[in-house]
Amino acid sequence: MESRVSAEVSFSVEAGLNMNNKNDKKQRLPTPVPESGPANPGRRRALRLLVAGLAGAALTGRTPGLANNRGSAAWERIEPARERLNGATPKDGAIKLDLPGVTQDGSAVPLTVEIDSPMSEDDFIEAVYLYAGGNPTPELLDVYLTPLVGRARFSTRIRLNKSQSVLALARTNRGEWLAGDREVRVTVSGCLSRDDTYDFDAVMRTRVRVPERLEPGQIGEVRTLIDHPMETGLREDGEGQPIPERIINEFRAEFNGKSVLKARLYRAISANPYLRFPIAPNGSGEATFHWTEDTGESVSESFRMETG
Amino acid sequence: MVVVPVLLWSGDASEPVDENAVGAERAEAVARTCAACHGTKGGFETDIPSLAGKPEAVLEAQLLAFKRDEMPGATVMPRLTRGYEDDELRAVARYFASLEAN
Amino acid sequence: MGLLGAGTLLAAGGLRVYAGRPSHAHVAVVGGGFGGATAAKYLKILKPDLDVTLIEPNRRYYTCPFTNLYLGGLRDFESLGHDYRELQEDYGVRVVPDFAEDVDVDGRRLKLAEGSEIAWDRLILSPGIDFRWGALEGYDEAAAEKAPHAWKAGPQTHLLRRQLEEMEDGGTFVLVAPENPFRCPPGPYERVSLIAHYLKRNKPRSKVLLLDSKDNFSKQGLFMEGWEEHYGEMVEWVGLSNDGRVIRVDPDRLEVETEFGTIHRASVLNVVPPQKAGLIAHRAGVTDESGWVPVDPNTFQSRKAPGVYVIGDATEAAPMPKSGFVANNHGKVTAAAVVADLEERAVPKPTWANTCYSVIAPEWGITVANVYEVHDGELREVPGSGGVSPSGAPADFRRNEARYAEAWYAAISQDVWGTRPPG
Repeated sequence: MESRVSAEVSFSVEAGLNMNNKNDKKQRLPTPVPESGPANPGRRRALRLLVAGLAGAALTGRTPGLANNRGSAAWERIEPARERLNGATPKDGAIKLDLPGVTQDGSAVPLTVEIDSPMSEDDFIEAVYLYAGGNPTPELLDVYLTPLVGRARFSTRIRLNKSQSVLALARTNRGEWLAGDREVRVTVSGCLSRDDTYDFDAVMRTRVRVPERLEPGQIGEVRTLIDHPMETGLREDGEGQPIPERIINEFRAEFNGKSVLKARLYRAISANPYLRFPIAPNGSGEATFHWTEDTGESVSESFRMETG
Repeated sequence: MVVVPVLLWSGDASEPVDENAVGAERAEAVARTCAACHGTKGGFETDIPSLAGKPEAVLEAQLLAFKRDEMPGATVMPRLTRGYEDDELRAVARYFASLEAN
Repeated sequence: MGLLGAGTLLAAGGLRVYAGRPSHAHVAVVGGGFGGATAAKYLKILKPDLDVTLIEPNRRYYTCPFTNLYLGGLRDFESLGHDYRELQEDYGVRVVPDFAEDVDVDGRRLKLAEGSEIAWDRLILSPGIDFRWGALEGYDEAAAEKAPHAWKAGPQTHLLRRQLEEMEDGGTFVLVAPENPFRCPPGPYERVSLIAHYLKRNKPRSKVLLLDSKDNFSKQGLFMEGWEEHYGEMVEWVGLSNDGRVIRVDPDRLEVETEFGTIHRASVLNVVPPQKAGLIAHRAGVTDESGWVPVDPNTFQSRKAPGVYVIGDATEAAPMPKSGFVANNHGKVTAAAVVADLEERAVPKPTWANTCYSVIAPEWGITVANVYEVHDGELREVPGSGGVSPSGAPADFRRNEARYAEAWYAAISQDVWGTRPPG
C-alpha cells in the first residue's frame, strides 16, 4: 500500500465566508456547548446558539430516554425516510450499522455501514440513505454504489446533536429495500472541550490514500478527507451574526471515467468530511475523486492504479 | 446542528428535591464527595483546608458564596457548588461542623 | 496467605474457601486502586460489622495519576506508592494479596490465582483497564517493551522515563493518543506537557509530537494556551482531521504510520493503546460488546449479574470520565448501595462529582470539575454546574491550581489508602 497526500489546491476559498480574522492560521469556532457555567461570558451566546441549533426540531426541552422512541420501526418515525420508501416496506435488520453505543463527542461520530451483497453486475446495492431523526435536519448522507466497489461497505463521520437512533435504508438494483438502525447515546462531558477547529488556509485541501497496485480480483481500500468546516448555517460568529451554510454537498469517485461511488452530503456530516470505501478495479487505470461545495467550487484529484 | 448538549438544556427547574435533601444521611453522602480533596470526613489539612470542626456559619457562608460566585480567585468550588441545592450545602456545612477537628 | 482465619472452611478435596464469619455478610472487593480500596474502606465505615475482603495482587500500589509528574522530573516515583496497612489496621479490611482469576456469579464464588476461593454475599469489581493488544496494528505486549504505553503505573513508567533520559538532545518524543473512551481523558495532554518541561530543561533542541485519533480533547483550549505559553514550537499536536490517526506501529524502527500514509519516526515512542475493562469483568460476563461494563447508574450494580457491582474505569459511566476521582466517588456510592441492599433499605440517592487536575508546567495547573446526577434513568451533568478553568486566567490562578493539584493528590490518597488523620 503506497500513499499519497495531495498538494494544496490553489483557488479562492474565501468566497462566501462571513468571518473575521481570516489571516489567523488556526481559527477556533466556538460550538454551542456551555463550557463553564454562568460564570463563563461565553455561556449566554452558547445557549442562544443552542436554541438556534434546535429550531425546527421537535423538542420538548429534555432528552427523551432512548426507550421512549420504541414502538415503531426507525424508518417509520423519520419522515424523509418514509418519503424515500414511498410505500415500500424494507427488510429490517439487513444493514449492519457500526456506531459507538455511547459517544462523548457528537461532533464527529464514526459510522460504518455494511451490507451483505455480492456487488456483482446483476446483484448489487445501488443506494444507501442515512438518517438521524433527532437532528434538526434528519438527512445525513446518500451514497450511490456500483459493482466497482466490490463490497457494500463504507465509513464516514457524522454529527449527532443528541441521543437518538441512526437509520440506514438501502435499495438493491432490483428495487428491494433494506433497513437497519442503531441507538447512539450522546453524552456531554465537561472533560471534553469541543471547539470545532479547522485551518482556514487549508479549506478544500484534500487527502487521499489509494492502493497503487492490486492483484486481479483484489478489493482495495480508499480513504479520502477534505478540509472543510461544513458550516451548518445554524451558528453565529463572535459578533452574533449568523454564519451562512457552506458545505461540501457532493463527492464522486470514478475509475477510468466510470462511477465507483457517488455521495450527496448533508450538513450533519462532520467538519473535514471523511469517506472510506472499497474499490475493485477491473484492470489498470486512473482513479479520480471530485468534491463539490454548495458555492459551486470544486476540486479533483487523480491517481494511477495498477492491477495485475 | 453541530453538537447540542440537550442534556444541559433541561428546562426542568421544577424537579422535586429529594425528601432526604437536608437529612443527615444525605448530607453525609454529599460530604463523602468532598473527601476526595479534603480528606476522609473532611479532616485532612493540606493547601486545601480541612473542614472538620469548622464553625457551621463560616462553612455555610463560604459554600453559598462559592455558589454565587462571590469568592474572588476561587478555582473549582464555584463550579462544584452550583451542582447542589442551597439546602444541601447548608446540611453539608452542618455535618462538617459537627465533626471533631483534627 | 492469611487465609486460615476463623471463617476458613476446608471443602472437599482440600480446597480453601474463605466465607467470612458466620452470620456476618461478606463483601469481596476485587482491585485495590482508587475504586476498590475506597469501596472496601467505606463499607467498613458505613457498616463496621460487615466482613470485607479486598483482593489486590500488589502489596504496594502505584497510582497512574501523577505518573506524568514523575516523567517530567517533578516527583519521586515512590511518592506515588501506597500500601494497605491502614485499611487493615484502622478499618478492619481483610486484604488478600492475590489475583482474582474467575468468578462464579451463580455460586457466588471468586477463584484466586493461588488456588483458594472466596465465597461472597456481594461482589464489587474494580478491575481498571486492560489493553486491546493488536487492535492497533503492530502494537502488542512485546511492542510495549520497545514503545511503552506507561498507562499503568509500574515498570512501563520506569521504562519510558529511562528512554527519555537516554534520548539525545534534538530527538523527537512521539505520543500516540487513542479514540474515546480511555483512561484519564486529559492524561495524554498532561503527559506531553510535562515531558516537554523535562526536555526544555535538559534537551532543549528536542520536539514533542502528539498524534491524535480525535479532533477534540479534554481541556483542549487550556492545554493549547499552556503549550504556547511554556513550550512554544516544541509541542505539536496533530488531530484526526490533520492525519493524526495512527493505524500501524513499527516498534523496532520506532515508526508509526498514519491513515493517509505519513510515516513519523520517533526517538522515544509512547503509544497509548485502545482499552477495555480489566480481565475479571470479562470473566464475570458483565461486559458488553463495547468491552466495557454497563451498570445501573444509581448503584453501579451490573446490568447483567445481580449482586455484582462494578466501579471505576471499567464501567460505562459517561459523561463521567475514567478518572481516579470518579473511581473514588463510585466506591463510596456503591458501598452505600451495597450496605442499603444488605440491610434491605431503599438505596440512597447517589451523588457524584469529578475534579481533574492537569499540570502543564510546575506552577501552571488547570482543572475541569463537574457534578453528576441520574435523570430519566441516565447519568448527566447537573445543569448549570461544572466547567473548566477560565481561559486567559492570570498566572496566580494557574499557580493556585497547580498547588491544589498536589494537595488533591495528598488528600485523595489519604481518602483511598490512608495515611492518618482521621480515625
